[in-house]
Amino acid sequence: MPNCSENYESEISDGKNIRSITCKFCNSVILTPTSASFTSFEFQLPLMRQSKTNEQNPESEAVSLFWSVGDMFTFQNVGFSNTVGNNKYLTCADCEAGPIGYHDIPSKISYVALTRVLHC
Amino acid sequence: MAKKTYDLLFKLLLIGDSGVGKTCILFRFSDDAFTTTFISTIGIDFKIKTVELRGKKIKLQIWDTAGQERFHTITTSYYRGAMGIMLVYDITNEKSFENIVKWLRNIDEHANEDVEKMILGNKCDMTDKRIVSKDRGEMIAREHSIRFMETSAKANINIERAFSELAEAILDKTAGKEPGDPIDRVMVDRRQQSNTTKSCCN
Ligand SMILES: Nc1nc2c(ncn2[C@@H]2O[C@H](COP(=O)(O)OP(=O)(O)O)[C@@H](O)[C@H]2O)c(=O)[nH]1
Ligand SMILES: [Mg+2]
Repeated sequence: MPNCSENYESEISDGKNIRSITCKFCNSVILTPTSASFTSFEFQLPLMRQSKTNEQNPESEAVSLFWSVGDMFTFQNVGFSNTVGNNKYLTCADCEAGPIGYHDIPSKISYVALTRVLHC
Repeated sequence: MAKKTYDLLFKLLLIGDSGVGKTCILFRFSDDAFTTTFISTIGIDFKIKTVELRGKKIKLQIWDTAGQERFHTITTSYYRGAMGIMLVYDITNEKSFENIVKWLRNIDEHANEDVEKMILGNKCDMTDKRIVSKDRGEMIAREHSIRFMETSAKANINIERAFSELAEAILDKTAGKEPGDPIDRVMVDRRQQSNTTKSCCN
């Protein structure tokens, strides 16, 4: 499977995703082709795996490549976590792997991190 | 904004006593590594799932209670806009079954009058601890003219099927109401259609 962080430009056409966006772990379809817009900025996204010892201080990494979705019902299948600050984190709807991205409550825009999903 | 990618949107709720398995029905049991993640610590608020029924793309938005049921404080705001309700009891817990009647009253009081309901007898994997027979579940459902199914969130039995049946029932209701909607034309073989949607077991 392609690793998008290396060659993500080939996944974009007219600013949209060319292929389906699926879960890395169970292949559940998250977004259908051309339903999300590419955008780039930096965000600290908590890691998918955390050590149990520091639940109070979850570890994050800087993520900068996103698919943005303006209407949450554009998603084929997705889970929204409970609210943390201004955000809800996004998960796979079938296996709950996540965060695969986050939802910004004030703007109602959802962002899916390219490196945390597959394109196929 | 982008064009609408679906035909219908159904808001569904999970209701029932604390401990019957509502959260597990929405937030699947995963015995794998994911259970130790960030997500399981904060919990899931709702899910969006897409199903296709009779050629219609239907978005289901499924909500879990945030534990309000423990204090019997489920009120109008949780029910607002709900088109379908999964009313859950635990087959190993008599009290949760008896409370179904209470929940039905609560729903009558707070939810939209024509909300579609379905009763789920959850934890059907626990055969040795069963207290409520399937017959009793079927009986109470018949009494109130509600659909019924036994499920197991743990063994993933009938979960997907329950949601697609509830969605279908709502679809039946809404179909007649949309003026100019040509849905009646495609009322072919309901059963068969629902079976083609990803079913978990059997
Ligand atoms: N054996 C079995 N246990 C279940 C099932 N569903 C939930 N449970 C367990 O029942 C308990 C309560 O579940 P939970 O989903 O938190 O109930 P809620 O209070 O209705 O949200 C938890 O310990 C679950 O592990 C099931 O289908 N089978
Ligand atoms: Mg719960």
